[in-house]
Amino acid sequence: MSATTDNYEHLVNAEYEHGFVTEIESDTLPPGLNEQVIRTISTRKQEPALMTEWRLAAYRHWCEMPAPNWAAIQHPPIDFQAISYFSAPKQTPKLNSLDEVDPRLLDTYNKLGIPLEEQKVLANVAVDAVFDSVSVATTFRSKLAEVGVIFCSISEAIRDHTELVMRYLGTIVPPSDNFYAALNAAVFTDGTFVYIPKHTRCPMELSTYFRINAAKTGQFERTLIIADEGSYVSYLEGCTAPQRDENQLHAAVVELIAMDDATIKYSTVQNWYPGDENGRGGIYNFVTKRGECRGARSKISWTQVETGSAITWKYPSCILRGDDAIGEFYSVAVTRGCQQADTGTKMIHLGRNTRSTIVSKGISAQRGQQSYRGLVRIAAKAEQARNHTQCDSLLIGDRCAAHTFPYIEVKNPTARMEHEATTSKISADQLFYCQSRGLSEEDAVSMIVNGFCKQVFNELPMEFAVEAQKLLSISLEGAVG
Amino acid sequence: MMTSVSNSNASIHAMPNTWLSAAPNQLAGNHMTDIKQARSVALKQVLERGLPTVKNEGWRYTSLRSLLAQNFICTPSDDVLTVNEEAHTAIETALQPALETYRVVLINGRYAPQWSYLENLPSGVQIDSLNAVLNQSPARLAAVFTQIADTAHYPFTALNIASCDDGLVILIDDGVTLERPIELLHVSTGSLNQSVTPPMMHPHHCIQLGTGAQAQLIERFVSIENAGVYCTNAVLEIALSPRAVLRHARLQLESLNAFHITGLHLQQAIGSDYSGINIGIGGAWSRTDLITRFIGEQAHCEQRGLYLVGDQQIMDYHLDIAHQVPNCSSQEQFKGILYGQGKAVFDGRILVAANAQQTDANMTNNNLLLSRNAEIDTKPQLEIYADDVKCSHGTTVGQLDPDMLFYLQSRGLTRSQARQMLSLGFAADVLTTLAPEQLHEQVINQIERRLETATF
Repeated sequence: MSATTDNYEHLVNAEYEHGFVTEIESDTLPPGLNEQVIRTISTRKQEPALMTEWRLAAYRHWCEMPAPNWAAIQHPPIDFQAISYFSAPKQTPKLNSLDEVDPRLLDTYNKLGIPLEEQKVLANVAVDAVFDSVSVATTFRSKLAEVGVIFCSISEAIRDHTELVMRYLGTIVPPSDNFYAALNAAVFTDGTFVYIPKHTRCPMELSTYFRINAAKTGQFERTLIIADEGSYVSYLEGCTAPQRDENQLHAAVVELIAMDDATIKYSTVQNWYPGDENGRGGIYNFVTKRGECRGARSKISWTQVETGSAITWKYPSCILRGDDAIGEFYSVAVTRGCQQADTGTKMIHLGRNTRSTIVSKGISAQRGQQSYRGLVRIAAKAEQARNHTQCDSLLIGDRCAAHTFPYIEVKNPTARMEHEATTSKISADQLFYCQSRGLSEEDAVSMIVNGFCKQVFNELPMEFAVEAQKLLSISLEGAVG
Repeated sequence: MMTSVSNSNASIHAMPNTWLSAAPNQLAGNHMTDIKQARSVALKQVLERGLPTVKNEGWRYTSLRSLLAQNFICTPSDDVLTVNEEAHTAIETALQPALETYRVVLINGRYAPQWSYLENLPSGVQIDSLNAVLNQSPARLAAVFTQIADTAHYPFTALNIASCDDGLVILIDDGVTLERPIELLHVSTGSLNQSVTPPMMHPHHCIQLGTGAQAQLIERFVSIENAGVYCTNAVLEIALSPRAVLRHARLQLESLNAFHITGLHLQQAIGSDYSGINIGIGGAWSRTDLITRFIGEQAHCEQRGLYLVGDQQIMDYHLDIAHQVPNCSSQEQFKGILYGQGKAVFDGRILVAANAQQTDANMTNNNLLLSRNAEIDTKPQLEIYADDVKCSHGTTVGQLDPDMLFYLQSRGLTRSQARQMLSLGFAADVLTTLAPEQLHEQVINQIERRLETATF
């Protein structure tokens, strides 16, 4: 069943650096979605009956929900029956070292410039690589196990830590939350589970590289991260996908829970295939990401660099339930070609002395469409809540668009919140100055854009920051002038 | 044809038939086919589309339930002007302060010549009632009446156009500068008899300034003391010709029994200059839509506002500033003071269309929450399709600085006085643009009185 061979001629395409398809036989279900498909997924994943029922309940709910249409994005209606909901690489051996990994897979990572070995040794990063929907390589697990950190695929977690997973799964993003969250709950096939025990600082940065591979399979990842009292974890998520003509749907759900004094730092670099210059193809990235600062003095920090996908539709959010909790959102989003992004955050202040910071930088070039859509809600009991929001847009070219839709709801008089937004373009003066100092126009733009985004890049872990800057330069290549 | 919308669709409310004029054929101007046609289009729109629920993005924070709970009835007849002696005195009082103006008074939405003063109008200026103009010389309003208002997106404007029968008309010829301000007073009594269902009024005003004309309009909504329940659903259509200048003060000082809706539709031609100040103090439930469309370059629009919202009040301001052409500038500044269980909504949208290069637009919304149960929902939006623009918006929500309160109290002021002083200080930069002096004083007095009697 190698649906991928037909696309082989697309392998080499200079326009999209990461556009190649790895030929691995996929065990794929035929397209379509019904209760039987969900039962099959659940059975293949060897899940407990409880989980099957949970999925079915989500599916029944999803059937009654209308597809949302409020975002400032446009796409043809999605035929959910035309998508195959399960695709697992046939070989799924338990691996202890990289030698056991399919060499073609390793080759894929090498092409992406993220050799596992090198990362293992140099960057000290444990990588749970998700190839399509099933984890095929997990490294550093024993080292993490020493300190009691659980870092595994969510399927494994459902089997091996059923009680722990079921206690938290769906508590932050309930299956009924929204259309795509319900769909995800019904059909998710893999993802990551992280549990950091009490008073533990995760000894390394955790990272998962996602790749969408087999044609016509939607990717429905589910990530659940629990940071118990006094713990710390930094999680990196990076994405690339092969070039396709057909739109691929990605509807992931990420749930974070931070207990008393815990900190979760979640960083994303998203560089999925954005479609060609006419907007053909490209990934639909409809993601629900939400974290709850459940405990006092807990902190959740989202950092994202979004350069890929035909459509990005995501709002990493923080529910600040615990007193003195902190929520942060740093974002750089680039849209060019015909890319559309409707992204932002929600900060829900429930506890006392909760604080949140939002810094959103949008860069729109060519025919890119971009919206910041954010909500800051300060509930009646959130004494002394504090929010600062800054969203800036940079426009390059006269056919792009940038919008800001901030929602601010305050029910407590002790709240202090500020919101600022600006929209501007790179001024001729700035460009002239840089060029007069000997820079090419492209370098000058790149430098100005990097300066514009610096506040966000500073929040990224080192290796990611370098990668993000590179990505930004590549993304804007040819977009100017 | 009158059809009622089924209520099964949860995203709209059916339009209560009694809100519409009972005698649509007798409405002013309906002898003209195009006016009749425009009215029937508006009627069809509001009947078919119904009234919005909170599921509608523009109404998500403002529910129509309390409005729909009232059995409002549209009052077209002239007997609203026949008021008893007691009400007569009350109206006299409500007209204060007396200003040096050309004055048009509407009692319960009807033009009341006996209270109005329109003598010695300079040539080139026509001020009259809408009813008279539509019946006698409707051609004079051909460029304004139903031409500027957006009935497709504003259901209450459509309702108004379908049912309006009176209002104010101001037509100023090219190059005329009117030194003395024009005053427009809406005085409402509500239903003075408890057994009578509360009235809904649809005053409609048309204002057209010729090329280079200049005028100043002071618009006040007041109620008589002990006024009953009523609803004002006002619409203004304002057309500014090239280089026309209009200063517009709007004071919504209705009673706490009143429901208030305004749709102000403004169209600005090249080089025109509009400057508005909106004071919202009264009304139990109020909604104001300020809509600006630039049709010529180099035009400038300013909208300022101050809202004071306390117990049992909900006040909603929506701004929609559409920069459809290049080189225009707009500035919006709204400030809010909230206390008690008051709830305010601010939604400002700046749209910059793809060719509207060199747009300069700036919006700020600052809110002061004085007490525990007040609520503010604010949403300043930028929607930008052009790259060579300067656009910004800023929003703040905060409270009085305890140190400042303490300082003033240490100087011998009571807590209430200190609170008043600081609140007025907060509002000062908006209020300073309010002229003439008597009006400024009236507003400050009202704010002081309200803050004095408020519970915190």
